[in-house]
Amino acid sequence: MNIFSQKNDRKRTFLFITIPILALFVCFNTIPLIRGVIYSFTNFRGFGSYDWVGFRNYADLFTDARVGKSYLFTIKLAIVTTIVVNIISLILALGLNSKIRAKGFFRGAYFLPNILGSLVVGYIFNYFFTYIVPALADMVGLQSTSILASPSKAWIGIMIVCSWQAIAMNTIIYISGLQTVPEDVYEAGGLDGATGWKQFRHLTFPLIIPFFSINMVLSVKNFLMVFDQIMALTKGGPAQSTESISYLIYNNGMAGGQFGFQSANAVVFFIVIVAISVAQMKFSGSKEEQL
Amino acid sequence: MKKKGIKCLKLTLCCAAAAMAVQGCGASSDDQKIEIEIVQYKPEAANYFKLVEEEFNASHDDIHLTISSPNDATTILKTRFIREDYPDIIGIGGDINYSYFVDAEILADVSDYEGMQNINQGYLDIAEALELVPTDGTYIIPYVANAAGVLYNRDMFEEHGWEIPTTWDELLTLCDEIQAEGILPFYFGFKDTWTCLAPWNAMAVELSPADATKQVNKGQTTFTSEYRELSEKYLQLLPYGPDGPFAYNYNDACTAFARGESAMYTIGSYATPQILSVNPEMNIDSFVMPASDTAEGRTLNSGIDLGFCVMAECENKEAAYEVLDFLYADENLQKYIDDQNAVPCKNGDFQLSPMLDGMLEFIESGNMTDYQDHYYPSEMSVDALLQTFLIEQDVDGFLTNFDTNWQRYNRDIIRMVQDYEAANGGKE
Amino acid sequence: MKNTTTAVKANKTVMVLLILGLSTIIFPLYMTIIIAFKQPSEMTNNISGILSLPKTWSLDNFREAMEVTDFWRSLKNSLLISVLTVVLSIIIHSLMGYTLGRNKGSKFYNFVYLFIVSGMFVPFAILMMPLAKQTAELGLANWFGVILLYVVFYMPMNVMLYSGYLVNIPLALEEAARVDGASTWRTYWKIIFPIMKPMHATVAVITALAVWNDVMTPLVIMAGSSQNTLPLAQLNFQSQFGTNYNLAFASYLLSLIPILIFYLICQKQILNGVVNGAVK
Repeated sequence: MNIFSQKNDRKRTFLFITIPILALFVCFNTIPLIRGVIYSFTNFRGFGSYDWVGFRNYADLFTDARVGKSYLFTIKLAIVTTIVVNIISLILALGLNSKIRAKGFFRGAYFLPNILGSLVVGYIFNYFFTYIVPALADMVGLQSTSILASPSKAWIGIMIVCSWQAIAMNTIIYISGLQTVPEDVYEAGGLDGATGWKQFRHLTFPLIIPFFSINMVLSVKNFLMVFDQIMALTKGGPAQSTESISYLIYNNGMAGGQFGFQSANAVVFFIVIVAISVAQMKFSGSKEEQL
Repeated sequence: MKKKGIKCLKLTLCCAAAAMAVQGCGASSDDQKIEIEIVQYKPEAANYFKLVEEEFNASHDDIHLTISSPNDATTILKTRFIREDYPDIIGIGGDINYSYFVDAEILADVSDYEGMQNINQGYLDIAEALELVPTDGTYIIPYVANAAGVLYNRDMFEEHGWEIPTTWDELLTLCDEIQAEGILPFYFGFKDTWTCLAPWNAMAVELSPADATKQVNKGQTTFTSEYRELSEKYLQLLPYGPDGPFAYNYNDACTAFARGESAMYTIGSYATPQILSVNPEMNIDSFVMPASDTAEGRTLNSGIDLGFCVMAECENKEAAYEVLDFLYADENLQKYIDDQNAVPCKNGDFQLSPMLDGMLEFIESGNMTDYQDHYYPSEMSVDALLQTFLIEQDVDGFLTNFDTNWQRYNRDIIRMVQDYEAANGGKE
Repeated sequence: MKNTTTAVKANKTVMVLLILGLSTIIFPLYMTIIIAFKQPSEMTNNISGILSLPKTWSLDNFREAMEVTDFWRSLKNSLLISVLTVVLSIIIHSLMGYTLGRNKGSKFYNFVYLFIVSGMFVPFAILMMPLAKQTAELGLANWFGVILLYVVFYMPMNVMLYSGYLVNIPLALEEAARVDGASTWRTYWKIIFPIMKPMHATVAVITALAVWNDVMTPLVIMAGSSQNTLPLAQLNFQSQFGTNYNLAFASYLLSLIPILIFYLICQKQILNGVVNGAVK
């Protein structure tokens, strides 16, 4: 085989892989999305007949205070949670990746929060915030009620639970990233006297940047689309202070009769997240090249 | 090593394919029988319906009945409707979803069903009122109703010699008395927003016209005028509940009431199974929530908890009616009532749960009014608006907000109603 | 010499911190376990009551939970769906990730990459109705349709993970094989696929977990069929007017075991990968 035909073989193989997979993806993601976009121009309730309403849903979206509030809440939650989760899980990954005893046990244990169903998580944390935290505060001499009952503080409770659950996944991704760092890098670094923070900053971190950016993108995306934790903890309350965008889309669109309007909301939301994530990827992409 | 990995993959795939084949041939059915499928939305009654299904199939050779009681049935029904996979009969509640289903013309007219004559007229009227614009047909056969008001700890009341209040003032006096004894009058679980609606509905039946929402849709009045007294009185209840009621959810409130932490609990009869699960020995009774100055004005807050609708797509209406005959047979209905502490929508001699003693005279005389929230579109989240109101305690802000939100969320319905009015103007 | 002593010290601190962190996990787990063993009549709202041990350690709750959820049948369905999804995901997504990761210079493949990855951001609620309709039209309103949908849903994330992983796998490895005359397809299965083992394990864990706990997709797609997955069956414990937490918690504990075992197996694979010097 000469070089030319090998190049062709490579190209053909790539196309042969791409086309069927892309077709599957278009069929079950793009086409339904387009159908959804079409509904966003109607007053469809989810069943029965409907009328075309043009851009009315989109116009309404920008004047709807409830939607605006949900965007603010969701973005605030996503930013704070992303930072908290990534700091903790990076530290945890380094810890779990170091030479310690009972590594398997620790890794298993720290993975648990991720498997507990949302009913369990909701019940336990509701209990924790409603009864245990106030009791602890009482012992220290502070007067306090459940933070989930306060419109200004409930988001903190949700942030804590989101982090608690998400850290496991992010840690796994960081650990698998740390595995790609060859031992000899450390050995070489060790000779140069690089230890601790220095070693992390200059040797480890640059090598796991692709995983860092994956985690950032995934975290931002996951927390922007937060839904389960809201359902489990507050159901949007108190005083509608924790209604996330996904919660509104599901609750009013699917469970309620606002399917058309919430489809418009979903379309705008989709565009917003894609924009944020592309910006993120571009940013971390340029960082990767720098290093 | 590498080869082994790929072999493993292949093996797994083969196993899966085999499993697929096995599952595929499970579905063979008898062609002779007519299949009737019911989807009903109360998962808590799943056991009862399982029993009905078995008994029906054992006694009928020509019809095979399947009843499913899924959780989140509304979502399931909606997704099945969109793929045009209709069950034959659906069991739903008399709320806004029913109104939407009627409007979408997916339900069959069941006014020719014979059993209809035995249904309590009060509930048929309630069903009629739920239609967005009046129609000629009847689309639901009410099965059972629930009632909301105040549940109270009967033993505690007897021990202290407290009387059941019949007016608003008596209720407040009673609350003061209870509080003076160091007992909490009410427990609230306002963290679950829907529980905010329970006292609201119970007082609204007396303080606001039953068709308040319809009048607003016709442009005849506003909620600011219809709901003012109601809102103000609701706020007066709060001091008699626990501190920071927004921290506790429905489950907390049920547990607290069951443990005797409060004397009363403003909730519906549907809460009794949950309360009894915590304290099976508890002696619970209920009374109608008094909200005005006169005892005569009282009416029971009661609505259709479960009714059956035949789908327009149902191919065999006669068979569906035969199934309904079985469901509405007195002995089966009685079993349901015993199981769920429900109120029957059928006339006849039924044995009601002792927990409904205090409401019996209203049920027997047919003095009942539907829940206001059965007319609220769920996407407007009136429950959340109420919770906000109870936290902020701003009556004017709440009422203005209610009116603007109502206009926004009901735009299409209001237009429909007003078109209808224009076409059939004044013909009431 | 000096280095090792500081390392030992550092490891001790790490251990202490890890053990401290563990308390945030042990406490909820403790609560889950005791609630799973208690009877509804033992539930209270005061702290000493909730933290106390159950009166008897009887397995009745577990037995009843298994009965209510038709445990073995639901487990079988859940396992079938999860295993097939994971296997298909590993094959399909790694191929796609490889193709896209190795063609970062091409405009077309870059577009495909962004196109697929952006699929991750589509809110499920907007797809739900159209998908319910579409799967029914295609005769896929069954568990096979659910698997197919999962393969599509998790494709964006997994493709992203695989192509990110490829950055650290040198092209030289493939080129060596190419010089020997192996085709790209063969090279992939012989060299690249095995090397990506740690990533396979990661993808397997993430995908399996998401599938294992997912309620919405089977609820919407398989609605009306008599097939239940475990999370669907567990819905039976809760309704608006009453939730049997004791049975529900018992059932959750039961369904937690298989996925935990799966994770423990996989995490060894995540460990054993590239470090062994297979690559560098």
